Amino acid sequence: MNSYYLINLLIYAAVDAMACLGLSQQFGVAGVTNFGFIIFQAAGGYTAAILALPRDSANGGFQSYLGGLNLPFPIPWIGAAIVGGLIALPFTFLVGRRLRGDFAAVGLLVTAVLMNLLATNYRPLLNGDAGLSLIPQPLQGEYNPQASGYQWVLAAISIVLCGAVYLFVRRITESPYGRSLRAMRDNDTVADSLGKNLLSLRTTMLVTGGAIAGLSGAILVSYITTWSPAAWGYAETVVLFAAVIIGGAGNHRGAILGAILVPVGFEEVTRYIPTSNNLPPNLIPSLQWVAIGLLIVIFLWVRPQGILPERKRVARAVPRPAAPPDGTAPPDQTARPDQAASPDQAAPPDQTEPSAIVVAPATVPLTTTKPRGEAAQPGAEPAPPPHDHEVVLQAVDVVRDFGGLRAVAGVSVSVRRGTLTGLIGPNGAGKSTLLAMLAGTLPVTSGQICYLGRDVTSLPAYRRARLGLIRTFQLAAEFKRLTVMENLLSAVPGNRGDSMRGALAGPRYWRGDENAAIARATALLEQFGLEAHASSYAGELSGGQRRMVEIMRALMAEPRVLLLDEPMAGVHPRLARRIGGELVALAAGGLTVLMVEHELAIMDEFCDPVVAMAEGAVLAQGTMSELRSRSDVVEAYLVG
Amino acid sequence: MTIFLASVGFGLVTSSVLAIAAIGFTLQFGVTDVLNLAYGAVMIAGAFLAYLLNSHGVNVWIALVVAVAACAGGSVLLNAGVYAPFQRRGTAPITMVIVSLGMTLIIEFGVQAIAGGTSVSYAMSNGPTVSAGGFTLTAAQFAVIGLSLLVMAGTHVLLRYTKLGKAMRATAANRTLARNCGIRAGRVIAATWAITGALCGLAGVVFAMDAGSFNATSTDLFLVLILAATFLGGPGQAYGAMLGAVIIGLSTEISAAYITPSYKYVIAFAALLIMLGVRPTGLLGKAA
Repeated sequence: MNSYYLINLLIYAAVDAMACLGLSQQFGVAGVTNFGFIIFQAAGGYTAAILALPRDSANGGFQSYLGGLNLPFPIPWIGAAIVGGLIALPFTFLVGRRLRGDFAAVGLLVTAVLMNLLATNYRPLLNGDAGLSLIPQPLQGEYNPQASGYQWVLAAISIVLCGAVYLFVRRITESPYGRSLRAMRDNDTVADSLGKNLLSLRTTMLVTGGAIAGLSGAILVSYITTWSPAAWGYAETVVLFAAVIIGGAGNHRGAILGAILVPVGFEEVTRYIPTSNNLPPNLIPSLQWVAIGLLIVIFLWVRPQGILPERKRVARAVPRPAAPPDGTAPPDQTARPDQAASPDQAAPPDQTEPSAIVVAPATVPLTTTKPRGEAAQPGAEPAPPPHDHEVVLQAVDVVRDFGGLRAVAGVSVSVRRGTLTGLIGPNGAGKSTLLAMLAGTLPVTSGQICYLGRDVTSLPAYRRARLGLIRTFQLAAEFKRLTVMENLLSAVPGNRGDSMRGALAGPRYWRGDENAAIARATALLEQFGLEAHASSYAGELSGGQRRMVEIMRALMAEPRVLLLDEPMAGVHPRLARRIGGELVALAAGGLTVLMVEHELAIMDEFCDPVVAMAEGAVLAQGTMSELRSRSDVVEAYLVG
Repeated sequence: MTIFLASVGFGLVTSSVLAIAAIGFTLQFGVTDVLNLAYGAVMIAGAFLAYLLNSHGVNVWIALVVAVAACAGGSVLLNAGVYAPFQRRGTAPITMVIVSLGMTLIIEFGVQAIAGGTSVSYAMSNGPTVSAGGFTLTAAQFAVIGLSLLVMAGTHVLLRYTKLGKAMRATAANRTLARNCGIRAGRVIAATWAITGALCGLAGVVFAMDAGSFNATSTDLFLVLILAATFLGGPGQAYGAMLGAVIIGLSTEISAAYITPSYKYVIAFAALLIMLGVRPTGLLGKAA
């Protein structure tokens, strides 16, 4: 084995591993299925080439290309990463909230096919089919690129950069921001309803993945000194996908392993197949592609999690302080005195304290949330009394059509602060649709939604969630591949690590917020009796437990108005009553709850007022006993 | 004017081929819920099967019938052996698309491994050239247009007037509900794979006739046209696919007459991206 062969192997491995890390971040962690990934590597390759190449006449004029800036190393590499990131921006319209993930993936795939076609046929831009060649190698004026020492250094730089990319993506993935990405991957509608800006998250992923791919392309062209459309057919993306799936989507070490096994391994193995004149031409490359296809299908069937599955993240136990750090709040203090001292409704106390009310009587003093609540008391505005029963959420003449079907036909409902409002009605009455429109999950066909005296009709769900309007879902909506603890933590607003910048600043920057959130989540888990399951994947729980995870997660989001869609369905009746009792306590603390529920015993016991809907309209409103006395309500629902 | 008319003529042929392919693709997706990107690979497999027979002296139109039957059977097997097991496991739609990409590589390059990488053509007579209303087309091209019209009429009859077609529409709208109404969804889906597979095989052979010479990867770009026609009309909408095929087929060929032919796919591509970005439910679909 000569050194040339080894260097070749190392550089290809580093380039492929780097590309796979970018794809693993996009696809494995954030669930952005970028079937056009290869375009970004191609763009990086071309950018590095035209930045490094001299004006076209200098190469004898046999190639024509844009640019030719003759810039010194490392500018071409940096430029490649920047361009790789920037060309992601036009694609962001495909990955917003509206388009299904598989349709977006098809759009990206088709883009990759067409870009290759254009680059092949349009010669002036990038020398067409023949591609660019004689691309200058880094610092080739000062050193001899043919020298073995030079090539070793190039290989070493590639590996170091690949290592840097690994640390970069790991830092993102292991941060609260990474948790938000994984939550979006598991269920984007739910992540949206918890205040995650899907468009921003996905755009950031496309841009960072694009920059990584661009850099990998730059390293590759600097080594092989040529770059042509044949090197980046759409199928090359499939190879990278195969590598990430086989290595283990969502596990960055798996991505590196996959890169070594699939693109590198295939090249190396086929090198040893004896060439025979009896074999038809193209047979070996064709069979290589067949084998890649087979590997994808077989792995997705036999071991969809890959060779190195995504690691389970077990939250570190946070030591609970024996007494609050500032000593102002004795452990047995209930939330009530705090409430009086708390600032206006926008500050956390209104939201965190409700859980304190529930938790305080238990053995766990919510000491950990107090510094947070107090830290957010800059203004000394007096808190509104929790029982003013002011209207906080209002639907005005709201209509929703599905094709020809009018699911909600002009509903007006007001929900008052501190109440536990029930919403009942037969199946198909439009209850869940109304809830979805209130939360912003579904746009209204016409009508108006007002929240805290503000028209929020045109606000997307994540913006409403950030204002404290939080919903749960009728169907299972847990983040399956997040642990129960992570499900709860994912909803916490305002974590310093829950942004790209915060994630890159590192754990030291966000550890404090994270510990506070873990302490809150732990207290909540103990209260709901699920502490033993904190480190189980939410997807492995029973139906009733998942419901509770969802309610707890909604509470972690610091809601001011909570919209619950059949929260007790599948929950043991005794537990359902306990949850109901806790909701009442939360309401007493100022939380407002609107709850769809079929279990009328729950309504009887906890909800007042109760709104009855049928066939898309409000039938009546009042206490449960009033509703029972109305013949139309009884006819529509209670009997039928 | 003659260039324009000639390009309209070519456009009609392309639209016809595309309509057959797109109807099959869109019905397959609508009823079975599999966005089967291996559709183009199955097409070319059918085209090569017909070539194999044709090169052994079988008339190309008889070879076409055999290819149609083989693709129908092959698609049923593809579903029963690959897609249905994945679906039964509750695999996410996006993973299904990745599986179908894997199947694309297996089928397409499997064909290439057997057939070699070279381009081939059918030995067939294109028949006398016919001029009608300013268009000059060969008899074979008229036959392709006729076949396409037959397929459209047949699709209309199937969906409107037959029990199977109604069951297909019901299954497409809501599989669980259809099953609860006594429709045997499993059988309907198997029948859909057979019908759409037959359309896929037919599209493959007429595509190969129209293209003149073809190789194993020829349908990669044609799949872009199919996707464009499908999304223009709205995924799952058979009538939308017909409309989309006519628009895409005509616009690509007419644009090819005036700008370089190598860029004729750009219009299809732009149409597809605009539809995805602005109105993913298609021209005939409901507003999002």
